[in-house]
Amino acid sequence: MKSLRQIRFLCGKDLRIELRKKESLVSMAFFGVLILVMLNIANGVGKQIDAEAGAGILWVAILFSSVLGLGRVFAREKENGCVAALLISPVSSGEIFVAKALVNFSLMLLAELVLVPIFFVLFGARLSGDPLALLPILVLVNFGFSTTGTLVSAISAGTRRNEVLLPILLFPLLLPLMTLAVKATALALAAKPLADLRGQLEPMAAFCVVFAAAGYLLFPFVLRED
Amino acid sequence: MTTFNRSALFPGLAAVLIPIAIGMVFFYSPLEKTMGSVQKIFYFHLPLALTAFLSFFVACISGIMYLRNRQRIWDARLAASVEIGVVLTTLVLITGSLWGKPIWNTFWTWDPRLTTSLILWFIFASCLILRSAIDEEGKRATFSAVMAIVGFVDVPIVFLSARLFRSIHPTVIRADSVGLETSMLVTLLVCMAAMLVFWVGLYKFRVSLFLQEAMINDLQTDGTKS
Amino acid sequence: MSEPSSFLRISGLRKSYGSREALRGINLDLQRGEFLCLFGPNGAGKSTLLKIVATLLRPSAGQVKVQDYDLEEHPEQYRAQLGMVSHQSFVYQDLSVLENLEFYATLYGVEQPREKALELLEEVKLADRYDMLAANLSRGMQQRLTIARALVNDPALLLLDEPYTGLDEHAASVLRDQLQTLHSRKRTIVMVTHNLRRGMESATRLGILVRGELVYLQQKADVDPTTFEHLYFRHLEAQ
Repeated sequence: MKSLRQIRFLCGKDLRIELRKKESLVSMAFFGVLILVMLNIANGVGKQIDAEAGAGILWVAILFSSVLGLGRVFAREKENGCVAALLISPVSSGEIFVAKALVNFSLMLLAELVLVPIFFVLFGARLSGDPLALLPILVLVNFGFSTTGTLVSAISAGTRRNEVLLPILLFPLLLPLMTLAVKATALALAAKPLADLRGQLEPMAAFCVVFAAAGYLLFPFVLRED
Repeated sequence: MTTFNRSALFPGLAAVLIPIAIGMVFFYSPLEKTMGSVQKIFYFHLPLALTAFLSFFVACISGIMYLRNRQRIWDARLAASVEIGVVLTTLVLITGSLWGKPIWNTFWTWDPRLTTSLILWFIFASCLILRSAIDEEGKRATFSAVMAIVGFVDVPIVFLSARLFRSIHPTVIRADSVGLETSMLVTLLVCMAAMLVFWVGLYKFRVSLFLQEAMINDLQTDGTKS
Repeated sequence: MSEPSSFLRISGLRKSYGSREALRGINLDLQRGEFLCLFGPNGAGKSTLLKIVATLLRPSAGQVKVQDYDLEEHPEQYRAQLGMVSHQSFVYQDLSVLENLEFYATLYGVEQPREKALELLEEVKLADRYDMLAANLSRGMQQRLTIARALVNDPALLLLDEPYTGLDEHAASVLRDQLQTLHSRKRTIVMVTHNLRRGMESATRLGILVRGELVYLQQKADVDPTTFEHLYFRHLEAQ
């Protein structure tokens, strides 16, 4: 279908730019690792942590590193007015939305491929959970983060204070998703079976759907008023 | 052209109702068995919470209406309701804390209703921060409309997600019966009425003030760059 | 009596921001192949008008039609006929010259995007730099790339928003020549500019926009250049 092709094509353009310069990926991974190290020190070097504290630490690192990548998504389009060029082209706002969300999703996943192993290296001494068990949680959070984030970063990129406003606007909206993610992660890190996590994963999935829909519907208003 | 609100109806009514309400709280309503006089904070806390919620609801509707027909009056209504809502929510959090300390021995607890209020505070306060970051009227109105809509959509989500954890908030309005004595109920209703009237008066004045500010701004920028 | 149907018809176009009117009822009829140049002081609404025609801004009232496709009713067909050149380049700095053109060509559904891109590069004389990152191009070359990008979909209507901004004499003459070529190929052009000399050189119709109103619209052939200059400066000073 034509829409899917356009989306895949827009996605491809962004990923090509990203992989060429690796600007976002490097900053995301680097900043995330830095936060993990700082939190390790803040916790008291050598002190062990339990599953619950560990869950919180991991997500703080992932969230703050992801915000960096998200901030660049629209900033790059606004340079040189490329948003306008997209607006006058046959591409629809919906296609732009999906493409941008997919790009963010991928960037987050790539950054997490670095952050999760490092997390286990720094904090994993007493954690019995399997890293792979985190995968469904990561996927859900990435989905919610990228869809809501695409809408919000289009807003913040339209102001003079892009990098500052983005977390201020985005994090409160994502709090419900994050509280559930932390709880689920704590269970996963304590090696509880997947079935135990359903109480968190299902509402998380529902929230993701609601936010994706809201983002998709409101996005055209944000894109065009510029 | 909009006529500015000079009606003294609601402020006048509020000036009458508020002293009555306060009087009833302290002289008419009975002393609660277990909690004592601290319980009387409830007569302020609950109406504050409901009017804060009303404010954000009005903000969401105003946002939707603005996106539909782009009239300044809807932006004025949104700005007024968000501002008032943030102030009221601040008071909800403060009164909630003051009530909680003697009763549950803690200033803060992560129970569903308080958590929802806190996150609401962040969401709509971030909306105010967003507004202060944009000078251009149309863009500011569009962006805050989108954030108000998304923020309000988040409310049930936040509430449900907080509910998935244990609650120590007293459930006043239960499904089967109203767990209050008649005199308490009457006092509560009077307080509610006073708060609502106060809210309407405040809201109308703020909307009017916003419109006047916008007109002055128009006159000042007339003739300069569009 | 039958009039040739307009190529670009703007009727009763208004744009307001709150109570401030940026455009107060613009009426304009352009035939195919005309080259309209719009002048006007800052804040007159020239960019606003152009952006509305380009579908970047929503009109508050009024109609815009290009070849009978209405802006609001047939947005897709309407946009397919447009090309726009702005003082912003619309070009991705981190992609090469060729990659940029290929991207836009594919976006517009051009049959063979790579061939089209190479063809356009030949036209704007950037073919030997196809591999260069857009970030490394000089301002003049960026402008040529921007024009090539605007032509990717063979637009019947070309919109230019202050294209001469920041160009040195050489780049400006190159641009003028390009516009000349496009004009000779029967493309309809609407240009907004401050540069009186360049605008008058290329245009077939001259217009002046002041405070959201089209106060002057004439065929260039009917106008004495000096008279026009004086008229324009009078409007500028009246601000």
